[in-house]
Amino acid sequence: MSSGLSEMKHSRQVAAAICMRGMRRIKARPVLIVPTIVMPVVLVISFTGAFSSLTRIEGYGTSNIYNWMAPYGALQGAVFAGIGAVGSSADDLEQGFFDRLLLTPGSRFPLLMGTVGYSAFRALIPTTAVFFFSLALGMTVPGGIIGVLSLYIATSFLAVVFCLIGLVILYKMKTQRSLMLMQVIAFGALFISVGQVPQSFMDGWLKIAARYNPITNVLELSRQGFLGDVAWSTTWPGLVALASMSFVAGGLAWRGLKKLAP
Amino acid sequence: MPSRVQALIRKIDMKSVVEANGLRRTFGDLVAVDGIDLSVSEGEVFGFLGPNGAGKSTAVRMLTTLLRPTDGQAFVGGYNVVSQASEVRKVIGVALQDAAIDPLMTGHELLKLQAVLHGIPRQSARDRGEELLERVGLSAAADRRVGTYSGGMRRRLDLALSLIHEPKILFLDEPTTGLDPTSRTALWEEVRRLNTEFGTTVFLTTQYLEEADELAGRIAIIDYGKIVREGSPADLKASIGAPTLRIDIDPQNLDKAQSVLSEFGIDRPARDGRVAIGLDGGVAKVAEVVNALEKQGVEVLHLELDAPSLDDVFAEATGRRLEGAETPDE
Repeated sequence: MSSGLSEMKHSRQVAAAICMRGMRRIKARPVLIVPTIVMPVVLVISFTGAFSSLTRIEGYGTSNIYNWMAPYGALQGAVFAGIGAVGSSADDLEQGFFDRLLLTPGSRFPLLMGTVGYSAFRALIPTTAVFFFSLALGMTVPGGIIGVLSLYIATSFLAVVFCLIGLVILYKMKTQRSLMLMQVIAFGALFISVGQVPQSFMDGWLKIAARYNPITNVLELSRQGFLGDVAWSTTWPGLVALASMSFVAGGLAWRGLKKLAP
Repeated sequence: MPSRVQALIRKIDMKSVVEANGLRRTFGDLVAVDGIDLSVSEGEVFGFLGPNGAGKSTAVRMLTTLLRPTDGQAFVGGYNVVSQASEVRKVIGVALQDAAIDPLMTGHELLKLQAVLHGIPRQSARDRGEELLERVGLSAAADRRVGTYSGGMRRRLDLALSLIHEPKILFLDEPTTGLDPTSRTALWEEVRRLNTEFGTTVFLTTQYLEEADELAGRIAIIDYGKIVREGSPADLKASIGAPTLRIDIDPQNLDKAQSVLSEFGIDRPARDGRVAIGLDGGVAKVAEVVNALEKQGVEVLHLELDAPSLDDVFAEATGRRLEGAETPDE
């Protein structure tokens, strides 16, 4: 019993240390996080600038373009935060540091959890940047603190999902090239969703794809507090989507890690 | 008592801490390690010598649980490297070929991380880290990012990291590759100290003859994934017998020279433009050899007579010289 408890404590410490290492790397070289911040901010600026009158059309649920676009921008930042965490793991694999981690006694699971935790913390940075940037430009938060919390939950967990998907690919390909494939998946998943326009404005295959794309549910979870009050009926589909994607991608990533390092 | 008998008694007394039986690893059609048998005793410095691509690193990766064997069994510290991998990792320290160090972290940060990975309590980790940094001469550089370290400093830090949990068995995979002579000598000193003062068993892979000769009490020579010779450096060299006579000649006279030299000893591998034999009778016969060659019109451009070396052992076992030898990538 006590051996099991001390093993659990060790696993927790290892996961936390790996997560902290990632954050220290950002502190040591801030340029590592710059694209993850700049990209969503640029998305918010360019989209709100070009389509500033879009939300005057009935159906958006808000007349403020920042309220519509900021959560989408934050989610995009989160996705790239997840991919960035995979990039660090790819560095470790290519440069041999991963071997040092694999020589840790005990289960391999904390190695996965540490990277995943890092992606979640990493996502807080672009989310905060987009949030305050948009707030400064005129965004409002009708959903209050719960609305903001929903945004942070959505972005952190979406970063975890994309980190896990990235790790599945990385453990298979074992090179930085896996990140290119990840970008295709990320852009595809974000574009085929209700990121830019509401579902009711869509037509044909795009409408069907967006309906069944779990990112749509996550977007609705993150966006609800900026369109009005937070409602459980909008919250749970987003949480279920995040949990399901994490479960499936997590299972595959764990299998991939065990195959890579038995 | 004869030294061989003493060595045998010592070996029986000592516990074997690294054992491999028929250890084999393939990558598709490539056989990287081809059924090797090994036994390393507690407190020994064991040298695993071979050219690039011979299978040294693959063998080490299997023994350190980083790679699963295709066939065969291995035990490290008494634990099976496959079924008890986690236990193996508790008793070993590993410094791999390309000093696996994150350039964005400082020496202190890396030691702290390594201590957490091995479950060492914070205060002990701090004390042990400082002690190790001092021992490898990196105390002053410990707060600098590793990216600013020289190759020698990185290797020393790697060694310190591998020792944080006071392992009983230390695996060093080509620890001095790419180092300048001063850094190389400093690392050798530290390995010797670890072995003599702390009784750490050292499993060292190297492609450098001098390194194996200097450090290892016993050596296994690996080539194309197979162990071709094993023994103490002295015994291996003694098994060669006659010293090696190497003569530089005009390549046009190669056949003539070889025919003359065959009367003085057994042909040994040599690089282009050179002939070599194991000279029966040693130095006393050199003048006779030169005269015999001159009689046949073969001009001697340069000659060397060396006591048997590990390179001669390698050459005798494989038909190639170790220096410059390379087998397909592992």
